[in-house]
Amino acid sequence: MFGRKRSTEDFAAEIEAHLALEADELKSEGLAEGEAHRRARSEFGSVSAARERFTMKDRIAWLDHLRRDLRHGLRGLWRNPAFTLVAVLTLALAIGANASIFSLLDQALLRALPVRDPEQLVVLSFAGATSGHRHSEGGSHPGHIHEFSYPMYKDLRDRNTVLSGLIAEAVGSVGLTWNNHAEPADAEMVSGNYFEMLGVRPALGRLLVASDETTEGANPVAVVSFDYWRTHLAEAPVVGRTLLVNGTPFTIVGVTAPGFHSMVFGHMPAVYVPITMQAVVEPDWKYLKDRFSYWLEVSGRLRPGVTRAQAEASMNTLFLSLRTSEFPLLHDQSQEQRNEFVAASHLNLDAGAKGFSPLRDDVQMPLTIVMGMVLLVAAMAIVNVASLLLVRAATRVREFSVRYALGATGGQILRQLLAEGLLLGVAGAALGLLIAPRALYLLIRWMSGRSMDEPVFSPTLDWRVLAFTAAASLIASLVFSLAPAVQFWNPRLADALKQQNGTGAGASLKFRRTCVALQIGVSLLLIVAAGLFVRTIRNLHNVDAGFATDHLLAFSLSPEMSGYPQPAIAPVEQRVLDALTGLPGIRDIGATNDADLSDDNRTGDVSVTGYTPKPDEEFDVELPWVSDHYLQTLGVELLAGRYFNSSDTATSTKVAIVNQIFAKHFFGSPGAALGHHISRPNRTATDSMIVGVVRDVKHNTVRDPATPMAYTPFLQAERPSGLTFYVRTWQSPEAATNSIRAAIANIDPKLVMSDVGSMTDEIDDTLSPERTVALLATAFGMLATVLAGVGLYGILAYSTAQRTREIGVRMALGAQRGAVVAIIFRETMLLAGIAIAATVPLAMIGTHAVRSQLFGVSIADPAAYGAGIAIILMVAALAAFLPARRAASVNPAQALRTE
Amino acid sequence: MTTQKSNEDRIALLQGTLDLLILKTLVLGPRHGQGIARQIQRQSEEVFFVDHGSLYLALQRLEDKKWIGARWGVSENNRKARFYSLTAKGRGHLIAKTSEWQRLSRAMGLILDAEEA
Repeated sequence: MFGRKRSTEDFAAEIEAHLALEADELKSEGLAEGEAHRRARSEFGSVSAARERFTMKDRIAWLDHLRRDLRHGLRGLWRNPAFTLVAVLTLALAIGANASIFSLLDQALLRALPVRDPEQLVVLSFAGATSGHRHSEGGSHPGHIHEFSYPMYKDLRDRNTVLSGLIAEAVGSVGLTWNNHAEPADAEMVSGNYFEMLGVRPALGRLLVASDETTEGANPVAVVSFDYWRTHLAEAPVVGRTLLVNGTPFTIVGVTAPGFHSMVFGHMPAVYVPITMQAVVEPDWKYLKDRFSYWLEVSGRLRPGVTRAQAEASMNTLFLSLRTSEFPLLHDQSQEQRNEFVAASHLNLDAGAKGFSPLRDDVQMPLTIVMGMVLLVAAMAIVNVASLLLVRAATRVREFSVRYALGATGGQILRQLLAEGLLLGVAGAALGLLIAPRALYLLIRWMSGRSMDEPVFSPTLDWRVLAFTAAASLIASLVFSLAPAVQFWNPRLADALKQQNGTGAGASLKFRRTCVALQIGVSLLLIVAAGLFVRTIRNLHNVDAGFATDHLLAFSLSPEMSGYPQPAIAPVEQRVLDALTGLPGIRDIGATNDADLSDDNRTGDVSVTGYTPKPDEEFDVELPWVSDHYLQTLGVELLAGRYFNSSDTATSTKVAIVNQIFAKHFFGSPGAALGHHISRPNRTATDSMIVGVVRDVKHNTVRDPATPMAYTPFLQAERPSGLTFYVRTWQSPEAATNSIRAAIANIDPKLVMSDVGSMTDEIDDTLSPERTVALLATAFGMLATVLAGVGLYGILAYSTAQRTREIGVRMALGAQRGAVVAIIFRETMLLAGIAIAATVPLAMIGTHAVRSQLFGVSIADPAAYGAGIAIILMVAALAAFLPARRAASVNPAQALRTE
Repeated sequence: MTTQKSNEDRIALLQGTLDLLILKTLVLGPRHGQGIARQIQRQSEEVFFVDHGSLYLALQRLEDKKWIGARWGVSENNRKARFYSLTAKGRGHLIAKTSEWQRLSRAMGLILDAEEA
């Protein structure tokens, strides 16, 4: 038989021989010839079946084995429904959480833009001084300014030799009117070559092309995003029809293909218009011709065969010459300014497959933290299931020993264990993937808070997540099914059979103890993290913003979105203020163009008459336009001078109120600021006299320290715009909403109120990442604690059962029940104590890494650690209680007999 | 009629046991399949019933593992038959498994007897 397969014919011949021999024998025992043959054949059973089994044996052996192993495994699991349920649920939770969070992480951090050849894309940013106005949505760092002026963009686009295309875009909020119905939406102003360069196709009509970007105001054409077309335009045949953008008619030329949103991850525009229509989207600014208005995000596509480094070198030569030619236009012609503006300038071309994204910067750290926590929970779940399997395996030592003695090979036993593990893994993964989309959906809904916008994240699991989860569950099931196999690999059979109780399982008991200690450690880590994040949220909520945030209703009104021309905007806003002032239940009302604590800012530099700035002085000032009662409504304390009042009108002397930081910087004290004049650099029309100084208040978010502010009346603003209104109410802010809506509709039903909500809700929105992390940390911490509790209970129940005899002897010798309970508790607390002592330093190292996400709480916060340790000890005590009680109720006589 | 026991008294062979019994049967010298089946049945006092289809597959399996060898020969009553014999490797396996089995059955006996007491 060496290496040669035996033929089927040979096997058939052997069976024939058998039948003949058997018949001979039967005949010799006295049977007749025919009867003997019939008997031989019937005793044999089905000859053809035997032959078939022979020919099939190699082919189906492994399948047969697999089926048998799986059947055995299934039966084994079925016999232990409690174990199976706990194990599958544990895995499902871990895998579901893993898949959900990884989906978010994948969407935000890993996935390339859904465009043609994304790996050829580069994101442009630059280093060097800027002068004038910078309109940023975030994402810029020193040395990486992501906003370019339109003239600079055009020069870079038209004069480079290394890119096959260079595109630009900026996003703005607009009012869209369709079928006489107006509502707020996001619009993206894009260069004409935008879609062509990205390789985006139309779902309907055509997309914008280079010839749609000619001169200022001359291209009223719009492309609608697929999502907006589907959800807001009812998939109507829109091509050629008119859509009002901020009251200006645009002709819809097409709809984008589904799946595409923007070259910037996180932008979800409803409509795309040519850059040249900027003045429609943002009527208060005229950016297009200004070399010192920085507002466009720019991306390019490398020419085939050009590397990023080559392109960067070539583009820098061009950029430097452009910066040199811009320099003479600057106000400040000092050598120092020249150095900063020209010599220190540099253009960066960064890999852009994933697109530029300010949002990504915001979510990267929270997502990474959450992913880390999920991985810890998953590791814990695996350890937990492994230790459960170990406990179970220990009770099956005899079963396996008997099977081994009966000729089952180690491999077969190993296979069955693997099959059980695989079954658990597959069941857990299936259940996990079943719950993941739902969990993801809820999480995304929760994260977007009150916002009505289309969420950036989609609750779909893609193939990457599937692959990730499949790999995770496969590895998990292999890891934990091998754990008991280690115990059986070459078991000392006779010992196993002789021992009634597994006293020989010392090594595996140690392993299980290590598992439980690990779990306690991990759950302590997660609870401490949860504690720190929850305290962070509480601290952020309790931050003194400088004004009372309760009983404050906020809403936005943008008359320009309803087609109000510039000169009519401020008057209608004043009418709204007047109308609401008289409403019952309203204590005070104010408005600003620069919403508080909502991460909005409108900064710029100011010139102070009679003050010469130091050469390298940079002092960005927040410049809100406010109504006369705004500061009083918020309750910002007046330190010197006066508040605005009704005598400050469009035609009266221009006035300003500054805050403490501002006054201190320029004048040394609040009192000294009064009477001085401030203006925007080189814009004499903005010259205003300081009439008051107020206390500092938090403006951007509750996290950030107060910044210098200069308030001016919105009636005196150069370019009026939409305002955010703040209404101080007597009762709950929400209660006033309806009467306010009615009053505004009474003035003009076309006016759209948006972002309606209480100030506390608004603050919550800016804290969304922190709240999400805190919520998930708490959930994972609780999950981990439950897992650790179950793990601890499992091992205690097992080891107590193993020690029934020992306990019986102790009790027979006079030990009290209390003493027995004390033994169990002491053992538990010792284990927990060691685990805690080992974890605390690790926790400090771990939390050190996330300290940027904490607020007002030390990484060694005693409360968080104290609470975490207390919870762990409580769970440990709870887990020890049942086994301890069972041990104490041991009947000594019976315990001794069980041997 | 032969001295066969009724089917109720027979025990289906446990997985793995058949291999051991085959090896044991071959200790006394080469035998063909039919002889092995008869021998097992007879020696177990007709308690074990050997399913012939399984027997030949088991023989094949043992042959594949090189625990037994096989060649065609002629039986005492002059019939052509395939004779199996124990290899050195098979003998070693048999010794190891036999001692294991004895310890197992002794332990089983101890426990089962103790429970009756």
